[in-house]
Amino acid sequence: MRVLAAVLPALALVAAMPARAADPEPGVDPLTWLQRAAAAARETTYAGTIVHMQGARTSTSRITHVNISGSEHERIESLDGPRREIVRRDDQLQCYFPDAKTVRYDRRVSGRFFPSLVAGPVDALPSSYRLSLGQVERMGGQECQWVLLEPKDALRYAQRLCAELGTGLLLRAQTLGAKGQVLEQYAFADLRVGRDVSRGEVKSTFVAQSKSWRRDVQAPPVPARPGSAGWTVGAPPPGFRLVGEMLRTLPHRPAPVTQFVLSDGIAAMSVFVEAATGPKRTAEAVNRDGALSVFVRPVGDHVVTVLGEVPPAAAQQAGRSVAKSAEAAR
Amino acid sequence: MTQELSSLMDGELESREADRVIGRCCGDESLKQTWRAYHLIGEALRGERPCASASTRRIMAALDREPTVLAPRRRAVASAGRIAFAAAASVATVAVVGWIGVQDRAATPAPVVAATAPARPAAQPVVAENVVPLKNVNEYLVVHTQVPNAEFYTTVADRAAVGR
Repeated sequence: MRVLAAVLPALALVAAMPARAADPEPGVDPLTWLQRAAAAARETTYAGTIVHMQGARTSTSRITHVNISGSEHERIESLDGPRREIVRRDDQLQCYFPDAKTVRYDRRVSGRFFPSLVAGPVDALPSSYRLSLGQVERMGGQECQWVLLEPKDALRYAQRLCAELGTGLLLRAQTLGAKGQVLEQYAFADLRVGRDVSRGEVKSTFVAQSKSWRRDVQAPPVPARPGSAGWTVGAPPPGFRLVGEMLRTLPHRPAPVTQFVLSDGIAAMSVFVEAATGPKRTAEAVNRDGALSVFVRPVGDHVVTVLGEVPPAAAQQAGRSVAKSAEAAR
Repeated sequence: MTQELSSLMDGELESREADRVIGRCCGDESLKQTWRAYHLIGEALRGERPCASASTRRIMAALDREPTVLAPRRRAVASAGRIAFAAAASVATVAVVGWIGVQDRAATPAPVVAATAPARPAAQPVVAENVVPLKNVNEYLVVHTQVPNAEFYTTVADRAAVGR
């Protein structure tokens, strides 16, 4: 018996050894794949056609992305519906809208632009999602590794991302509901990577003609103290942190609207607060479309609207926690 | 020739010209492939979201059996062919559009996510009863996605009446 007691720890040690040897090598754990995907979306030169499905709608666009001396230059052109072109240089967005003869200047803060879905640092993701690797799948001549993000609570959706084996670039991305149903997805229908893509392709086709267009310049995020806009999101859903707070001008609105942006690292929602106009709303209201949830709540003579690629429960939780900031109440 | 296929799909060809294109298309494996891709993309763009394998089978069967069933479609689908053409229909495109088209494969049976009413699975807290029409929050949607859409800069006359 004593012999056995002496041997057991040794056996346990032996048993543990193969497990240690099988620990993930660098480059094969899910977090590393997500890091690769984020870096590839920034650093790789690529061009392709993207098919996007949200709810019942499917749209296609063409993207061209070039990295020039560490700076991202990107052009996204819609291929269906009214003509529209987004030119992005790092976080600076210019959206050309020829039908309305308007160009909107903005700074990227909440926009989901495939394939750069993982915008922030990936370190925060494991606190909200269980990460794992799925299969390697081959499609259209390209192999990609599925990375699965399963939510740890009901306040976010599952994400499935497929990163190309060579570059790490995302070729496909899905947002899944609680029953595994696909709510939103992106995919490259065709893709060119590297030398085939020229720098000229990232210039807007509307540069010359847009000189006479209306310019809609959005204010940069409010750098002032949090809550200085008069409102706070008191209790964001767990895992979501405030990544932006700014004043937005909207067409047909007399006063600017306060916008807060909350993100858990891959899912984002915007919280808007504005003075109520028109008929007074007395009750909360909701809606959803694909991965998008909307939650509206009257607060005195103001209206809070939450909108994002999150479950309704998360939008509701964020919306119900909006209150006048201590500063404004004083 | 792919341009002609796109026009054929959009119903822009005269009948004699259409016959010629159909004839050529069905005698050429790569053109058949392209034609299939156009239709898959077209279906996806019209939001029909078919099961990819089923529609591929259907189109292939139609091609093999009776080329004339591929008569030009009505103008209603006009943009689909052009977009498919823009997407440079390739084998990869077919695969991707097929993949996009395969909905709810993990779910049985495919639950339709309500576009106009809040779905309320038992696991989630009950949310408010009222439904806010998506068009009422379009401006916020634009600001959130950071992509202007057609309605954003146009005047909505009944905006005040609609409220939020």
